[in-house]
Amino acid sequence: MTAGLLLPYGDPAHLAAHQFLVEEAALLDAADFAGWLGLLCEDIRYVMPVRVTTARGAGFDSLADMGHFDEDMYALRKRVQRLATDHAWTEDPPSRTRHFVTNVRTFRGEGDDLRAESALLLFRSRGDTREPSLISAGRTDLLRATADGLRLARREITVDESVLRTQNLAVFL
Amino acid sequence: MLDLASVVSQVRRGMIPAHVYADPEIFAAERDRLFARSWVFLAHESEIPDPGDYVVRRVLADSFIVARDEAGVVRVMFNMCLHRGMQVCRAELGNASHFRCPYHAWTYRNDGRLAGLPFHEEAYGGEDGFARAGQSLLPAPSMGTHNGLIFISLDPDAPALADYLGDFAFYLDFYTRQSPAGVELRGPQRWRIKANWKIGAENFAGDSYHTPHTHASVVDIGLFREPKASKRKEGALYQAGPGAGTTYKLPPAGNEHSAFTDQLRYVGYPDAMIPVMAAAWSGRQRALVADSRFMPSAATLFPNLSFVHNWPQIDADGTVAPFISLRLWQPVSERETEVLSWFAVDAAAPEDFKRRSYTAYLMCFGSSGMFEQDDVENWVSITDMAAGSMARRLTLNSRMGLTSEGKPVKPPLATFAGPGVAYQGFGEYGQRHWFGLWGDCLSREAR
Repeated sequence: MTAGLLLPYGDPAHLAAHQFLVEEAALLDAADFAGWLGLLCEDIRYVMPVRVTTARGAGFDSLADMGHFDEDMYALRKRVQRLATDHAWTEDPPSRTRHFVTNVRTFRGEGDDLRAESALLLFRSRGDTREPSLISAGRTDLLRATADGLRLARREITVDESVLRTQNLAVFL
Repeated sequence: MLDLASVVSQVRRGMIPAHVYADPEIFAAERDRLFARSWVFLAHESEIPDPGDYVVRRVLADSFIVARDEAGVVRVMFNMCLHRGMQVCRAELGNASHFRCPYHAWTYRNDGRLAGLPFHEEAYGGEDGFARAGQSLLPAPSMGTHNGLIFISLDPDAPALADYLGDFAFYLDFYTRQSPAGVELRGPQRWRIKANWKIGAENFAGDSYHTPHTHASVVDIGLFREPKASKRKEGALYQAGPGAGTTYKLPPAGNEHSAFTDQLRYVGYPDAMIPVMAAAWSGRQRALVADSRFMPSAATLFPNLSFVHNWPQIDADGTVAPFISLRLWQPVSERETEVLSWFAVDAAAPEDFKRRSYTAYLMCFGSSGMFEQDDVENWVSITDMAAGSMARRLTLNSRMGLTSEGKPVKPPLATFAGPGVAYQGFGEYGQRHWFGLWGDCLSREAR
């Protein structure tokens, strides 16, 4: 996405975008995944490329054709439906998660759309003997203005590890 | 003190001492006796298509550069500078004509030959002090390729790769040679799990028994119709050469003349690909699908390369798309494994099929896959439990499919089209086959 006009931190549009991201994190940490789906546009694209270690001059540090996620609404609904079954063992007992959202910057997009960049740190703890895991990532979101308020139309997650240190991505970032 | 002979003898009877899944002494024996000798997968040629392309991969702690040199030849070189031992290439992939060590700028061509070092004349007195000619990064002791899959062995006296693969090569073609163009690999996704490396390898070798329960959620949500116990137990489990795997039983075809086409359509292959697959595979390979009606699904090539082929529903219209994944269970320690999971697809497949297949892969396997998520939860838990003292008093029963006298509960399939031995129904044949090979390795001398 091309850079647009960075909005001042007191701008109402920035405040709305920031509130959207914090409220979204609250839904995820409350495991209200159905509620979370309600924040997504029907044509959502939710992608998380595989990051790789390359020489500085290589000109790329993620794989163009392989992600950890590359989801449309159907795939995300299936993931949420699965977590709601009685057989999604990896999240039953559930992880304790905390999505820390910070460094939010908002850019004016086309029309009333906003582009929001944020930093995310996900803390995830399972059981009582395992070490917790952390996932650090940057996110670039396209937030679409709708009659019901802002909705997420696209999210690109730039994870900060080439080798993830969490047992799986049965979580949303 | 570890009694390795006793562990191996129990394992050969299908009784697995539970501590083998978290035991540092076992891990050291695996390093010195198994990984020091076996053929191990590193990369696929499609990952380095052009001269200068390289990837960096490990065999346990040993880092190797897998590069295509200027002449197009694939080279595997130990990634340690001849001078002071620095890791020469610290990126995991890229394109380079030369690799220059950051420490003192010794520079190697992408075929491993030492191209130059600073002040050769002043510092060493030229060739007299240090003979530059003939110096090269250490090549992998043995290297071989099959269907573009690049394997190495740390044993310079390893048997030829083709001899090692033996009858398992028949099954490899279902995953890696669907057309003369061969397969292309994308990825890998890489992540670390707190699980012993053997558990995944064993699981893919033959655990059809876990599918109905561990993966019940994917049936619940209508993602994949096959794992129900009633269907899963109709599949055949085969053991062939250094590999073993599972299959699904396909529904009867309407017409015997179109059986091969019907079966491949059922799992979601487009009509454009089916004649190409028919031509790429032998009569016996076609017969496994068309006559025996078994479609290969999960498999493991000993020791730590696994394969999977499933065909989930990828959209609300009910489109079924097959995908293939290769995965390496890269041991980190007795309690930790790095998983490298590639998406694999026929290089000549239509682009829209590749896209559907990629979607299917991401939904099912890999770091976010809805199958794999639940597998890893189980494997981490097993490893945790195996680390304590009580696990040393427990042997796990891996004798499913055997009578008390060690005879098969049911005879092998008489009409199975593939090589090796195959059984229909649940049984831990593949896991015992895998552990038999493990026992053979651990009974060898360390090197």
